[in-house]
Amino acid sequence: MINLMKAELYRMTKSKGFYLFWLFAVITFMISVLYHEPGGISLGAPLDYSDDIKMDVAQTAMNFSYYFFLIIPVFCIISSEFSEHTIKNTITSAISRKKYFTAKYAFTLFYSLLSFLTANYLFYFVNRIINGSKYSSPVSDYSKALFSQLPLFTAIVSLFIFLAFLFRKGAAFNAVTIITPIAYTSISLVLYGIEGTKKAAEKLLTYEISTMISRLALECTDSYRTKCYIISIVVTVSSFVLGYVLFTKRELE
Amino acid sequence: MREIVLQTKQLTKRYRSFTALDHADMTVYREDIYGLIGRNGAGKTTMMKLVTGLSEQTEGEYSIFGKTGSAAEKEKRRIGCLIENPAFFGNLTAYQNLRYYCYQKGITDLKQIDEALELVQLTDVRNKKFRKFSLGMKQRLGIAFAVLDNPDLVILDEPINGLDPIGISELRDTFRKLSQERGITLIISSHILSELYAVANRFLFIDKGKVLKEVTKQELDLECSRCLVVKTDDTKKTATILESKLNITDYKVTDMSEIRIYQENVSPKELNRTLIQNGIDVDGITESGVSLEDYFKQLVGEVRS
Repeated sequence: MINLMKAELYRMTKSKGFYLFWLFAVITFMISVLYHEPGGISLGAPLDYSDDIKMDVAQTAMNFSYYFFLIIPVFCIISSEFSEHTIKNTITSAISRKKYFTAKYAFTLFYSLLSFLTANYLFYFVNRIINGSKYSSPVSDYSKALFSQLPLFTAIVSLFIFLAFLFRKGAAFNAVTIITPIAYTSISLVLYGIEGTKKAAEKLLTYEISTMISRLALECTDSYRTKCYIISIVVTVSSFVLGYVLFTKRELE
Repeated sequence: MREIVLQTKQLTKRYRSFTALDHADMTVYREDIYGLIGRNGAGKTTMMKLVTGLSEQTEGEYSIFGKTGSAAEKEKRRIGCLIENPAFFGNLTAYQNLRYYCYQKGITDLKQIDEALELVQLTDVRNKKFRKFSLGMKQRLGIAFAVLDNPDLVILDEPINGLDPIGISELRDTFRKLSQERGITLIISSHILSELYAVANRFLFIDKGKVLKEVTKQELDLECSRCLVVKTDDTKKTATILESKLNITDYKVTDMSEIRIYQENVSPKELNRTLIQNGIDVDGITESGVSLEDYFKQLVGEVRS
């Protein structure tokens, strides 16, 4: 399994996706660093936060952009194996299906989260060097905000891995992962407009991905935080189990 | 007794109502070059997919190096495969692709990459990206991948597809080299009979998922060579007469009612007369001798009828 992970790391460094991820990440945070404004995307309503929160922590609230950036490593590590049909080379001679799934899952999760943390800390230190303490919090405050999002990003990557094994075709995987949060928000807003479903829509919007990312980084109640983490754990575990069962039982084309 | 490398017993694969492989038995011995012959869609690839773990059988079992079930899974490391079309990462070069699989298989001696590329004559294009390869080059890289880890068994599915005549000839030499110099057992599938005949020493004929026949090259030669086929109900007495009265020694009793005479210059008229004079009921004497293609056609026809 370790060998498979080493191989993946070797391949990742040769792929365009590797450079694309870093290009997007650097462009996004450099704009923030240069213009002193948190940049990124959010599908939820803008959050009010206290003036004590500095630009770097406010930037983590916009980390929804990593939802899209993290599609890249999952696509490169898993979907490309199906689209290039190279998966058969591994399954026929190096490793069993069970080990293959576990190794891919572990490596993709580890690599994606490491990239997420590295990109964020890179932003933090670049911002601190260029803009100084006026726009930069102590590293402990920044880490607290960042790590509070980690369970959610673990769930997101885990779900991506499951979808990559489910759809196999890169186009389907990309389409579904990109559309899902937008469709979720659109449906929630439609339901919000209907009298009978307004309350349900409010709940849906409260646990919309970009809203959870923002609130976890900034200010939220303990109850909300706990609920977000429970959702994250359920999604992580169920996507791993479903992905494992699906891949080990389904025929390879 | 020769070591059995791969054996299948009643191996069956069904996709809903379609049976891709139907109770197939196959035995491959060490250092065999084993030819799987069948038309497109005959079940060759299904057979290969099952024994390499790409697909799971509906019924039956197989053993690899004498191991079955999960123990056979571990023996997969001793197998090199090229199933269906060669598949590699298009953005990586030939060398990088093999390097990736070296990491995966835990191969630390990188000279093996150079050796594999040299074996298939791809050394000059080792730094060319896979997506820029011609079909023939892709096939050769597939073979390089299959032999990368010095496996004991190499399974190649239609490896000569897309190769030019010189490429096919070179590949034939490569197969012989792998078998003779490295002692590798090869299973090669093809629908081109003549090509397999040129390299293989044992053959399995397959059609519509069913195994038609498993023969050695000698048996195949014998069945295809020109001969007189004598149909009679007493093969034992007929054989005695052939030897004592006609001095015919090069013959074979193929079943309870058939003798094949391979000796040259035997007159059918004289043979018939002698047998009748000695009280043998001759049901028929016919000339036989077929090309490989005709032999295969006959085989398919016999089984269908």
